[in-house]
Amino acid sequence: MAKKSPAKKAAPATKTAVKRAASSKRTSTKVVTAKKARDRVAVRKTTPEEIHAAADSGRGKYVYCVIQSADSRKFGAAGIGDNGSEIHTIHYRDLAAVVSDVPLGILDSTRENVLAHERVNEIVMRDHTVIPMSFGTIFKTRDDIVQLLRSAYDAFGDVLTKMRDKMEFGLKVLWDRDSVVKDIEDEDEGIHRLKNEIASQKGSTYFARMQYGRAIDAALQLRSERYGSEILDRLRDVAVASRINKPIGDKMIMNAAFLVSRDQETAFDTRVKSIASEHDKLTFKYTGPWPPYNFVNIRLKLERV
Amino acid sequence: MPVERAAGGTSLIDVLDRVLDKGIVIDAWVRVSLVGIDLITVEARVVVASIDTYLKYSEAVGQSVPVARPALESRPYDELAAENQALRAELSAAGATRRKAARQPVARRRSGL
Repeated sequence: MAKKSPAKKAAPATKTAVKRAASSKRTSTKVVTAKKARDRVAVRKTTPEEIHAAADSGRGKYVYCVIQSADSRKFGAAGIGDNGSEIHTIHYRDLAAVVSDVPLGILDSTRENVLAHERVNEIVMRDHTVIPMSFGTIFKTRDDIVQLLRSAYDAFGDVLTKMRDKMEFGLKVLWDRDSVVKDIEDEDEGIHRLKNEIASQKGSTYFARMQYGRAIDAALQLRSERYGSEILDRLRDVAVASRINKPIGDKMIMNAAFLVSRDQETAFDTRVKSIASEHDKLTFKYTGPWPPYNFVNIRLKLERV
Repeated sequence: MPVERAAGGTSLIDVLDRVLDKGIVIDAWVRVSLVGIDLITVEARVVVASIDTYLKYSEAVGQSVPVARPALESRPYDELAAENQALRAELSAAGATRRKAARQPVARRRSGL
């Protein structure tokens, strides 16, 4: 590559290597991961070659997902960026990375960008099995992506085989905690008695209140566990696999993802709906189909030899 | 409550929950295009452990704390009661032998109760 503008500062050049997106706007723990990765990239020493390469071309390639396809494909102008860049593929043997051109640099995880990432995955998913890339991965050159596909060829092939004709669905279950507490107070005799004791007692109710709190807490835990295992039990025969994530907030009692075979999609759908209609005290948030984010975990690291 | 399925891309929270750290994750890409030969080490794990996953159901559900609770109430009752007692005793002991006690390490006073 021709040497150009050697006066280019080292700092922006560091950012031209592939980045995980980092944004200080969110408080989620996930941002920490992204930030860490960013730091790691930022602290390493930039080589003169990189600076020159970066100065050479201001465009990189954003990767959305990996699919199986020996033929070049186009998926429309739905990519990340202002004008909706053209989605195309880069190949190594029968594997293809679905990419679009973006400016080199840190890609902020803004609403538009994150949704565009997901949108492209959903478009590609219509007639391909995808391995989704996590948000914010940009490569400098086409060769880098070929190198990625080549190096992880076996792993990608294996995952694609396992994910063939399967889709992910999300199911979150929420309850109205206060109304459940009320139910518990009405139904549990011991707790009911304790509550009356506190209400009628003169002087310090410290120990009674503490006992009450503990009892409520245990009862809530028990109920949410019962709901959780009942729901999971009933979805068992219509899903291939499931993954339980941490509930978000104190109203959520279940945050699960299910991997479902294409031919069982209707059965799964019907089952979720019938479970939901039987529980008038629970709120269900049912989403999908998703790329199998929750069932693919590929961590890539680069080593220099 | 009846439920309808919503398409994936309609909820930003659900999208963020997935795209930021799941799927193919490249921790640090330190590729230099022109110099040297780089080698990617792959650590791939596919989670399609249907039976295993189901066996872990009860466990997983149990691990997740479904409700937020005040820190005070989540501490074991016995522990709190014991601490209370210890503090009270310490208070009265300190009141009685303030001058003497002032020079003794706290830990020793406590263990002597």
